[in-house]
Amino acid sequence: MKDDLRSAEKSTAQVSPEPTQEAPALEIHDLTVAYQRKPVLWGIDVEVGAGKLVGIVGPNGAGKSTLIKAAMGLLPLSSGWVEAFGKPLKDNLKRVGYVPQREDIDWDFPVTVADVVLMGRYGHLGIFQRPKKRDHEIVRECLAKVRMLPFADRQIANLSGGQQQRVFLARALAQESDLYFMDEPFAGVDASTEDAIISLLRELRDSGKTLFVVHHDLSTAADYFDQLLLLNMRLVAFGDTKEVFTPELVQKTYGGQLTIMQQVAEALKLEEGLTKELRH
Amino acid sequence: MNDLIAPFNFHTVVTEPWSAVYWQTTFWIVLQATLVGISCALVGNFLILRRLALVGDAISHSVLPGIVVAFLIGHGDGPLVMFGAMVAGMLTTLGIEWIYKNSRIKQDAAIGIVFTTLFALGVILVSFAANDIHIDAECILYGKLEQAAIFSGDRMISPQIIPAAFVAVTSLLLVVLFYKQLLVSAFDETLAGSLGIPASWVHYGLMAWLSVVVVSAFQAVGSIMVVAMLIVPGATAMLLSMRLPTVMWISCVHALLSALVGYHLALWLNCNSSAAIVVTGMGFFCMAWMFSPSQGMVSQFLVRKALREKLAATRRARMG
Amino acid sequence: MKADSGVGKEVAFVKRWQSGRERERERGLGVAGPSQRSTVLRQRPSSGLLIALAIAALWTVAGVGEVQAARISHVTDTSVGEQVVRFFSMRDPLVRTAVIGCILMGISSGLLGGFIVVRRLALVGDTISHAVLPGIMMGYLWHLEKDPVALFIGAVIAGVLGAVFVSMIRQTTRIKQDAALGIVLGGFYALGILIKSIIQRGAGGDQSGLDDFLFGNAAALSSGDVILMAVVTGLALLLVGLFYKQFFVSSFDETFAESLGVPSQVFHYLLMVLLAFSIVVALQAVGAVLVSAMLIIPPATAYLLTDRLHKLLLLSVVIGIVASVGGAFFSFLSTGLPTGPFMIVSAAACFVVAFLFSPSHGVLPRIFRRREQTRRIQRENTLKAMYHLIEEEGGVDVVAQSGRRVSVESLMTKRGRDATEFDTEIAALVRHDLARRENGSIELTETGWTRAQEIVRNHRLWELYLTNAADIASDHVHDDAEIIEHVIGAELVAELEKQLKNARIDPHGSNIPVVEEGIAQ
Repeated sequence: MKDDLRSAEKSTAQVSPEPTQEAPALEIHDLTVAYQRKPVLWGIDVEVGAGKLVGIVGPNGAGKSTLIKAAMGLLPLSSGWVEAFGKPLKDNLKRVGYVPQREDIDWDFPVTVADVVLMGRYGHLGIFQRPKKRDHEIVRECLAKVRMLPFADRQIANLSGGQQQRVFLARALAQESDLYFMDEPFAGVDASTEDAIISLLRELRDSGKTLFVVHHDLSTAADYFDQLLLLNMRLVAFGDTKEVFTPELVQKTYGGQLTIMQQVAEALKLEEGLTKELRH
Repeated sequence: MNDLIAPFNFHTVVTEPWSAVYWQTTFWIVLQATLVGISCALVGNFLILRRLALVGDAISHSVLPGIVVAFLIGHGDGPLVMFGAMVAGMLTTLGIEWIYKNSRIKQDAAIGIVFTTLFALGVILVSFAANDIHIDAECILYGKLEQAAIFSGDRMISPQIIPAAFVAVTSLLLVVLFYKQLLVSAFDETLAGSLGIPASWVHYGLMAWLSVVVVSAFQAVGSIMVVAMLIVPGATAMLLSMRLPTVMWISCVHALLSALVGYHLALWLNCNSSAAIVVTGMGFFCMAWMFSPSQGMVSQFLVRKALREKLAATRRARMG
Repeated sequence: MKADSGVGKEVAFVKRWQSGRERERERGLGVAGPSQRSTVLRQRPSSGLLIALAIAALWTVAGVGEVQAARISHVTDTSVGEQVVRFFSMRDPLVRTAVIGCILMGISSGLLGGFIVVRRLALVGDTISHAVLPGIMMGYLWHLEKDPVALFIGAVIAGVLGAVFVSMIRQTTRIKQDAALGIVLGGFYALGILIKSIIQRGAGGDQSGLDDFLFGNAAALSSGDVILMAVVTGLALLLVGLFYKQFFVSSFDETFAESLGVPSQVFHYLLMVLLAFSIVVALQAVGAVLVSAMLIIPPATAYLLTDRLHKLLLLSVVIGIVASVGGAFFSFLSTGLPTGPFMIVSAAACFVVAFLFSPSHGVLPRIFRRREQTRRIQRENTLKAMYHLIEEEGGVDVVAQSGRRVSVESLMTKRGRDATEFDTEIAALVRHDLARRENGSIELTETGWTRAQEIVRNHRLWELYLTNAADIASDHVHDDAEIIEHVIGAELVAELEKQLKNARIDPHGSNIPVVEEGIAQ
């Protein structure tokens, strides 16, 4: 078993990103997160430059959502640090946008589509400041971009799944951030919305933004993303898609030896002696 | 402040109540509290499992108009009062469901709307009919546990005990007879349906039973502390065990111990004994919360500390 | 009576300037109302108006300050008519104090209740309202007298402690929210009763005042209580006005709020503290059990009437005021009637009306809409039958010559209806200007013809889609299409046509009609 772990560790293919003059858009160093008593992410190291579209891929329970929540500082870290554009990310939240998972939302909440998108502007407003005319204009522009302007005054429950996802995307646009974290933006959307979303994401990438997108569909992952982050409780591989998206690494992420990581985590909360084993 | 809390005297608080002179009083009160506690704990376990804990709160308030109407009709006839409470309890359940199934109102808000309205109607009825009915408001709010020990000496057993014992025994019987149905429908209504268990009947049956338990507990602990009697034993037990049969046993033991210790606490502080019993039950809950071997705060803290050390060790190993 | 004599002579001269202030104050509120509504129409958050209301609320302190302890129950007029006049003329300072108290309570509980209802924390209010009891008792023990400030502080501490307890139980154990609330509610309350029974025995303190906290007695509101209410209400309005954005976004999505740098936890506990404040001051008026109703029913009513949070808050404040003043009014009509329960029943009446009649979420409009839909489908089925008949007779190409006409007998046979049913069906078509009835035959109008084409097109497109794209046998697709034809809109039809590459023949070999753009719908 220790050999499995060893090889997994070595093969954490660190294809180094292109060198950039500016500080990297996102740098995650040795990030470890534990929920209650169970470690879910171990020692993640990631460095990404500006203008990249990065897919986070891995099986259920691999800690994909946890990774982006932890990176944004929404979860307490057991170790490690996260920087965005050379500053601790927590101090740089204005430059960070977030698209939550659709299931996390109370869709009966009394808000309209425009209200939701307007929330994206809140990060740019002072504590007591109210949204200004300009903010409302930006909201309309962003809604137009995702073709949701006709629905601006609808309550959000009265939308299809794809439309709801587009609203969140519009809100992310309204945030005018440089670094985006998106949690399953393709979940439960129809094919045409999926096309619309990916072209929008590419557009953002081309304008120099960096996007981290949690994705569950392996069949499209290679087409959609410049770089892939293969995750299964630890970083399996990270780098350019063509180098990382190999049967071997994918196999390592989804099956085979790496499920052992999960077992290890389970065992760790029960077994004392495991520490020694890991040390060898 | 000091004169409010009497010094603890082992003899007067613990020994004397069980002496030949006083033991009967002590016995009947503790028995009454235990019986009520066990009935509440048994039904409460299923409320917690079904995430309906606050329906207990709701029904304990909304039976009021049912009781008042029954009083007006039957002039304090016991079974009729029970029946009135049951009807009001069922109306509460149906009303809550009707509201949240037919609108965007969530279940918790629906509970709040229905029980407060029924309670308000009950209070209005009381104030209009104040001359015709004699409902002891003090008793409804705080409970009068001591009544269990007040009866003429020529009787063998306390008359208060009989209904409480009846409800407790019926509760036990119901749990034993319908354990399967209760468990499966609490766990997964769809599964229950596929097994041929009429989940909705189980649900309404549970609610009717809850109404009866609540009314029988009124006299002992009052309408609001009944909520604690319903929830606290089960919650404590669930902190200590993961298996339902064990949880049921622990919750019954919890009811017994709270009654016993609580009564002595009341003797010491010379305060309302129902409140003392509930506060004691809370004390047990807090102890389980802290020290439960599997889920207690202390054990969780220790596990987390160990984990942190392990992670640090792993990291050192990887670096080196 | 004491109150009357207490106010006595001062009232004579105080009254004049005071009633002036009252009028001004009311004008202030009156202006705030409509302008707030127009703000809503301009779709801007109403925080500015909330602040204005806050100032108005604080101002009432000055107005009430002059009035001595006021008790409605001391006013013992018996004639209902006189009481009504008395209540609405507001010339009686006693009535005024109670009414102002009720209005303030309506505002604060409506506002904060709005947040807890949309956050699905409705019963937290119930829990806090019971959990404050031990705090009140400890506050009493502090000086062994009913000192409002000590009681207030004790109650708020206990209430917030209760809320913290609930969160802690949930975060550190497997116990769910509902059970955690139940534990805190019952446990804290019992602790309160325990202390109360010790106080009653030991110091022989004035426990009648403490009992008001359980049952509530709006009539017993003193001017001091009302000042406290005004301060709390003003504070709530002010904070919600200032931090509306933060409250809004953290109520909607805590995680997203945190990603914006809004500390959701801080605002959660700020809300809990405000909630504890307003519960404590409202306890006096309605009592522990019923105060939670004032936090749930008005907002839940508003929740059924609007789809935007600031409108919801505004409406719930309005309903809160109406219900509490209404409750005060009804209990004022006769002596010895409790105020709280009447407030709850008034609020519940508002809820029932909204529940039944709310245009968007009401039960009756929904039933009505469903019936309307069934009728539309029936009409459309008649149209479809006529289209089929026309198609069978001469083909749709010859429509121009033959007219869009079918005979009564053939249509009646096709629809399988008897004469009465048939007449009703055709009458419905005529009423909607879809067809005309001329002796022995029925002719489709322009709109009727278009609609018939659309229905048949939708039906056949869907059948084709199912057989082509979903590989379903062609004899299995008809029933499905019978429903789909009535519900798909222009956008979906366009999408279907695109995917089917404008195919014109359905799986059964019939033509798919082309509907000219513009006339459709």
